[in-house]
Amino acid sequence: MKMQTIKRKHSSAHSRPRIVASIAGLASLTLVLAACTAASSPEGSSNSDGSSSTEIRNAGVIVHAQNGEPASLDPARTEQGEKGEAFIDNVYERLVDVGPSGPDLIPSLATEIPTLENGLVSEDRLTYTFPLREGVVFHDGTDFTAEDVLYSWERVITMNLPEGQAGALVDSVDSMRVVDDFTFEVTIQEPDASFLYSVVLNTVASIVSPESVEANGGIQADTPSEWMDTNMVGTGPYVFGEWKRGESLTMIVFENYWGEPAKVDVRWDITPEESSRVLALRAGDADIIDISPSNVGDVSDVEGVTIFEGGLLLEPIHLGFNMKSDNLPSSDTIPMDFFADKRIRQAFSYAFDYDTYINSFLDGYGARYTAYIPQGVFGYDENAPIYEYDLDMAAELMKQTPYWETGFTVSVLVQAGEPEFEGVALLMKDGVEKMNPNFRVNVVSQAETQFDENLGADPVPYALWVKNADPGADPHQFFDPHQHPDGDWGTKHGMRDAYEDPDKIAELIDAGKATVDPDKRLAIYAELQQLLYEDPMWVYAAQEGLAYPYRSWLGDFNINPLWRGPHYEYYTKG
Amino acid sequence: MQIRDYLLRRLALLPVIMLGVSVIVFTLTRFTGSPVGIYASPNMSPDEIAALEARYLLDQPIPFQYAAWIGGLFRGDLGWSGVSVAPVTEVIGLKFAATLELAIAAGLIAVFVGVALGTLAGVRRNKAPDHVARLFSILGASTPTFWFGLLLLVPFYLWLDWFPLGRSTPDIFSSIIHPTGMYTLDAIIALSPVAFFDALRHLVLPAVVLAFGAMAIIVRMMRSSMVEAMSEEYVDAARAKGLPNKIVIRRHARRNALLPTTTVIGLSFGFLLQGAVAVELIFRWPGLGQWVTSAVLAGDQATIMAYVLITALIFMTVNLAVDIAYAYLDRRVVLGG
Repeated sequence: MKMQTIKRKHSSAHSRPRIVASIAGLASLTLVLAACTAASSPEGSSNSDGSSSTEIRNAGVIVHAQNGEPASLDPARTEQGEKGEAFIDNVYERLVDVGPSGPDLIPSLATEIPTLENGLVSEDRLTYTFPLREGVVFHDGTDFTAEDVLYSWERVITMNLPEGQAGALVDSVDSMRVVDDFTFEVTIQEPDASFLYSVVLNTVASIVSPESVEANGGIQADTPSEWMDTNMVGTGPYVFGEWKRGESLTMIVFENYWGEPAKVDVRWDITPEESSRVLALRAGDADIIDISPSNVGDVSDVEGVTIFEGGLLLEPIHLGFNMKSDNLPSSDTIPMDFFADKRIRQAFSYAFDYDTYINSFLDGYGARYTAYIPQGVFGYDENAPIYEYDLDMAAELMKQTPYWETGFTVSVLVQAGEPEFEGVALLMKDGVEKMNPNFRVNVVSQAETQFDENLGADPVPYALWVKNADPGADPHQFFDPHQHPDGDWGTKHGMRDAYEDPDKIAELIDAGKATVDPDKRLAIYAELQQLLYEDPMWVYAAQEGLAYPYRSWLGDFNINPLWRGPHYEYYTKG
Repeated sequence: MQIRDYLLRRLALLPVIMLGVSVIVFTLTRFTGSPVGIYASPNMSPDEIAALEARYLLDQPIPFQYAAWIGGLFRGDLGWSGVSVAPVTEVIGLKFAATLELAIAAGLIAVFVGVALGTLAGVRRNKAPDHVARLFSILGASTPTFWFGLLLLVPFYLWLDWFPLGRSTPDIFSSIIHPTGMYTLDAIIALSPVAFFDALRHLVLPAVVLAFGAMAIIVRMMRSSMVEAMSEEYVDAARAKGLPNKIVIRRHARRNALLPTTTVIGLSFGFLLQGAVAVELIFRWPGLGQWVTSAVLAGDQATIMAYVLITALIFMTVNLAVDIAYAYLDRRVVLGG
């Protein structure tokens, strides 16, 4: 190694301690000043016990601490149940809406809800006429007319993005027509009693401003719009403010709103960590927080915080039986058609401890539903039979099969980090293994992308899996994908070969869709709930309860389970 | 060799190494599944999945896909960040600035406090200050960042309301422009004391939490090298010629003890970036850590690949800086020799 001459700079060595001391001094001064500004900050209200500050924080803006960020703000692209939907609901409007309470549709951009009685639904139940509201303006200042409805819906159909919900329009709409400036008409492919709920109320049917879309790239077939992913121009009570990625999104009160204007601006604070959201609520920095039901207890006794218990989410949690898979995990010993035996499906339904699930994993915020209608949806029959936890009954049924002697091992697939879903798998394991020591259930937890990939495969490489259903407002939205032998899960799970009478089930579900008379529909669904109880294709675990903790200084707080998130326009602050 | 030549050679090697890294990153990321995963949902039909794959060129052969990605890289296009709903290049600067501001603040605290405590502990070996410093460093090394963050938030945020969550107060944030994305620096540029103190108020707590773990390593390293240095003959010589103890420690013992500590400081920068993931989640700090966490959970491969590339670049730069710092602290070290 080569030696080099070292020239010491004595002067700098002497002055260094002084520099360090000055920096340290400056740092301490800064800290003190920073702490002092806390007391005088515009939003600050410092008090000694913190948790029960009475002075309203963030006056003039409702702060909602969210656990995630939208994947898109474009109605043509948002996935069902995704964060973007909740934001869209406040900035865009649809022809119809639901109010703060009850499942009934109320007019929005349409002035009347089409029915057979008012003549706005044709006799053949194929054509719907929407009289539209006059004097509505978009956030960009342009006037709203029937052309805009046509443009918005055609835009979705042309873009036809698989990740969004374009299917709702593509699969149902036959033709559309602008009758005059304020009358819009749509003809559907076949009579569908759920059309208004499943299509017109859907996020994808939101009305966007054609002028703004055209000024920013227009419509391109099969291609997402980057501009619309991150910008919004609608007619709703809020104007889109700003999106600071990973930090916050804002919406501003729209002063020229056609209806009663919203009262307070809104900010979403993106706070992925639940403990931090709870702290923000306690400190008063957040007015509303997202929280998993099992943690609601953490904030229920905090002064100044109210828990909104607003009924049940319309996305029931279920455990699916797959009867079609030929590539199960190597540890599984069951044959492919194991669950094609009705007795085994019934036994599993008896072996699940429903009450413990609701009381422990959902912290009491949950309820049972029938096969397959959640509470709060038309057709739910409270007298319909449901399974109770009964290991004796389960064992009796299993004894009728050869597996009681030979035993079996089966894996259940569940998404990691979702205690509500993992709880179902664990309790299923617990019940089945208690029945007979030769029975084994392996719980396989996978990250979301892997889980989605497995569940998206056909056939699904697991015989059992847990998730929740997509939310719906009409019974057909639940029966068709989950119970119809030729529906989405029907074909993927091989239900046609497993049902005792698949044609009867199919016939009833189809009739339920085509029937408009509510009484006749009720009778059809009552029969279905009975038949599917006897021939279960799922373990109908529970519906999660809606629990939103919020600061008590918010007024008129309410959430309709049919909403995709809070509708802030109704709320006041202070 | 002159430092300048050495620097040039290392800088020339950088692109070659980065190219190697890019191949590894691309290949490994592909093992975790298809990039289309972020848009796919269980309800999609195979046709719909195929349409998505075609949109992102995923129906092409893998080498073609790599070429498309690396080609984009050279044009300054790192792809589309699904979790941020924006081009990666548009977001990465902001995220990086946020994390860098946090890591620098934490690094400064860790180095100043760590070196001071370590020196004190080394000089007062086996006395009270030494015990305190050692206890402190054990705590720092063994306390999970995540838990420590929450622990500090309860008194300083919830009770006293000194230090809030997040990065800025929205009104104050929008009162100035942000050319660098480091809010303290932006406030200085804008000559706005209000914005500066607001940024600082938000920065202090996460920086302290992040610094705590890194500080532990520095204290331990500094202490042991200090103990060693204090027993060297040149220290005795310095004392013998009558120099005050302060000068002996500062100018003779500490300067030499700093050498091995510098390596640790360099390495701990990596620790700061890793630790930033947990700190950013708790403190609502919109930096790289929070960004990549959501990307991993969502399977957003464009974001993950960009993050890994950036991290590799940072480590190479830091290593280079450490090597240069070595040469400055110990002139006997000859770079590239």
